[in-house]
Amino acid sequence: MTNYDIAAIRDLVARRRPRHALESAFYTSPEIFAADMDAIFNRHWLYVAVECEVPEPGDALAVDIGKSSVIIVRGDDAQVRAFHNVCRHRGARLLPPGPALVGNLVCPYHAWTYGLDGALKFAEHMGDGFDRACLGLRPVALRSMAGLLFVCLSDDPPDDIDDVVRQMEPYLAPHDLKNTRVAHTADLIEYGNWKLVLENNRECYHCMPNHPELTIPLFAYGFGFAPEELSAEDLAQAERYETLRRTSHDRWEAAGLPSRLIEHLDDRPTGFRTERLPLDGSGESQTMDTMAACRVPLGTLRDKAAGGLHFWTQPNAWHHFMGDHVVTFSVIPLDEGRTLVRTKWLVHKDAVEGRDYDLENLTSVWNATNRQDADLVEMTQRGVADPAYVPGPYSPHTEGLVEKFMEWYLARLKAHLG
Amino acid sequence: MTDIDLPPFWDPESDDVLVCRAVRRQTHDVATFVLTAAQPRRFRYRPGQFMTFTVTIDGVEIHRCYTLSSSPSRPDSLAITVKRVPGGPVSNWLHDHLRPGMEIAALGPTGDFTLDLSHDAAPEKYLFLSAGSGITPVMSMARHLVDTRFDADAVFLHSARSPEDLIFARELAWMAEQAPSLRVRSICERDTPQNRWPGAMGRLDAALLAREVPDLRERRLFVCGPDGYRASARALAEQAGLDMARFHEESFDFGTLATQDPEIPAKIEALDAARHKVSFTRSRREIECGTDTPVLAAARAAGMRLPASCAKGMCGTCKCRLVSGTVEMKHDGGIRQREIDQGMILICCARPTSDLVIER
Repeated sequence: MTNYDIAAIRDLVARRRPRHALESAFYTSPEIFAADMDAIFNRHWLYVAVECEVPEPGDALAVDIGKSSVIIVRGDDAQVRAFHNVCRHRGARLLPPGPALVGNLVCPYHAWTYGLDGALKFAEHMGDGFDRACLGLRPVALRSMAGLLFVCLSDDPPDDIDDVVRQMEPYLAPHDLKNTRVAHTADLIEYGNWKLVLENNRECYHCMPNHPELTIPLFAYGFGFAPEELSAEDLAQAERYETLRRTSHDRWEAAGLPSRLIEHLDDRPTGFRTERLPLDGSGESQTMDTMAACRVPLGTLRDKAAGGLHFWTQPNAWHHFMGDHVVTFSVIPLDEGRTLVRTKWLVHKDAVEGRDYDLENLTSVWNATNRQDADLVEMTQRGVADPAYVPGPYSPHTEGLVEKFMEWYLARLKAHLG
Repeated sequence: MTDIDLPPFWDPESDDVLVCRAVRRQTHDVATFVLTAAQPRRFRYRPGQFMTFTVTIDGVEIHRCYTLSSSPSRPDSLAITVKRVPGGPVSNWLHDHLRPGMEIAALGPTGDFTLDLSHDAAPEKYLFLSAGSGITPVMSMARHLVDTRFDADAVFLHSARSPEDLIFARELAWMAEQAPSLRVRSICERDTPQNRWPGAMGRLDAALLAREVPDLRERRLFVCGPDGYRASARALAEQAGLDMARFHEESFDFGTLATQDPEIPAKIEALDAARHKVSFTRSRREIECGTDTPVLAAARAAGMRLPASCAKGMCGTCKCRLVSGTVEMKHDGGIRQREIDQGMILICCARPTSDLVIER
């Protein structure tokens, strides 16, 4: 049973003005939030973790997604699997959120014991005729994309994930995620609807006024601008960036580093976008001085100025892959007005904090940027909840990718509501 | 009236075979074997004495001494009371093979650890102290005392591992009922989940002794039990100011007497060494655990309640940090090698190979 009015939401979707922000209800209504969880988060591939978080047999990680919780665990056969974090006995959570080291998966309540393949191995006092074979943990669809772990809570996950993996793996492989480790994780709760978090991420219109740190390595005009409005100085900047992008792509591609744009944000269930973007200054990394933060390079990358490969997936992730470190972001809605943004900084697994990198230097750009974005999202959440709010138009130059996110979201919602 | 035609006395010079007449189970690992001579004989001995038995196991003759638990006041039969000992060849053979009707070669009785009641001496007060199967000679003494000096003032303090290990508990209670001047007290090191012990817990100590036997200095003491027990009883008696001429002790394993089989005391010592102390830091408990016993089983037997479930190394519920010591562990996936490397163990499937300190 759905706890929302399908017809009412269908009407709201139907009357949305293209290339405009959404009506207030999309950001503030608990019913639409419930529909979002059903239509989007329970049916699409979600980025939730990195394979290096479960490097060895027995390493497990529990991730909460809405009312669901998923256990990711590496078995004795070195395979990574995902299961619903629900005991088949009376439903208790097997693991609390976060990492764990397990022998078998054991319910703390009555010690029902599951192998790392999900099979029920032990359950006491269940009498004759008790069929363990029927009571294994329920699997969750899981895909590793060169080390990025995606799960889908649906029993019928979108099958285009294989194609995304095929296209993305050459881009991601040089960074060798399997030989990284998480140097730092930051969980930030933003007081805004999850769509505001994504919208904010899909444009850099707001970067110049708000992100003094991020715009040191990142070109603010990398995601579009209106040329007629730029000053001569800004125009020179934009041209410099365009030239740099072209020459960099040529150089990277020639060196076997896939770099050119692939964009399928709104034309498939597993929408995504990738491109290797040049960075300003030394072009090495997203740091305050644009230099590599970590002395140990990732994977096969020997060109220090390898820029930042950016990779977005609908509906909940964006990442930056650099020569020395990787920053991954996953978005988990908590309710209609609160969203968890989980940021992970990955370095080579052999890199030692204090010797090969300074954690503050590694994390400062995105810690500052996340904080600024959280404030922007909260401001917007307050504003769109104001009765005076009327949806405004997106910039055709700088907010085209916001519109693509919206197109994707509304199409998926519509597909679900019928 | 003519004289009753009494059988002659057993004569070790000419008699050497006893016949098993009954086997009485005392506890889960202790049995009493009731013996008579092959021909009608009466037995004359002093309470506390032992006999040497010979059995042939796998073609090898083994001699073993057992104190008589029976009383010479009932002279028509003898009894020995034997505890099964892991690795104890004769004791286990008796348990497994000696059945009514079977014969067993025996020599004796002999021994100097005896309660000698002379008719003319002033009445004395007694204290019988025993631990485990060390109860047999003092039981013989107590029976004899009750049968022949029913008003003699005696205290019987017996120590056992648990209520399940109490030997002669019902008979002692019955004796105390019959002879008001006999007081019987049992002390258990611990109780078990199935068998809560309402009485004194722990080991014999000065406080307990002062409470139960305030007039200890006026008594003659007969002590039988393992070395440590006897040593501590001796120390307590000295502390209490007893004239040590009144202190009589006997090792129940006859380590010094078993010259016919020098391996036996060695084996018994090995068995003693094969038990390890296990201390639990948070529970503030200390238990003993045999090398063949999983720590969890020993802890449960000692009445501890520790979280556990599958008890076969699978679920990991009993995972603990091993602060010190070494164990042998055969698990079934309930723990990772990395956890073991970090000092964790599953106590359900870990057997001590040294004394242990466990964080729990």
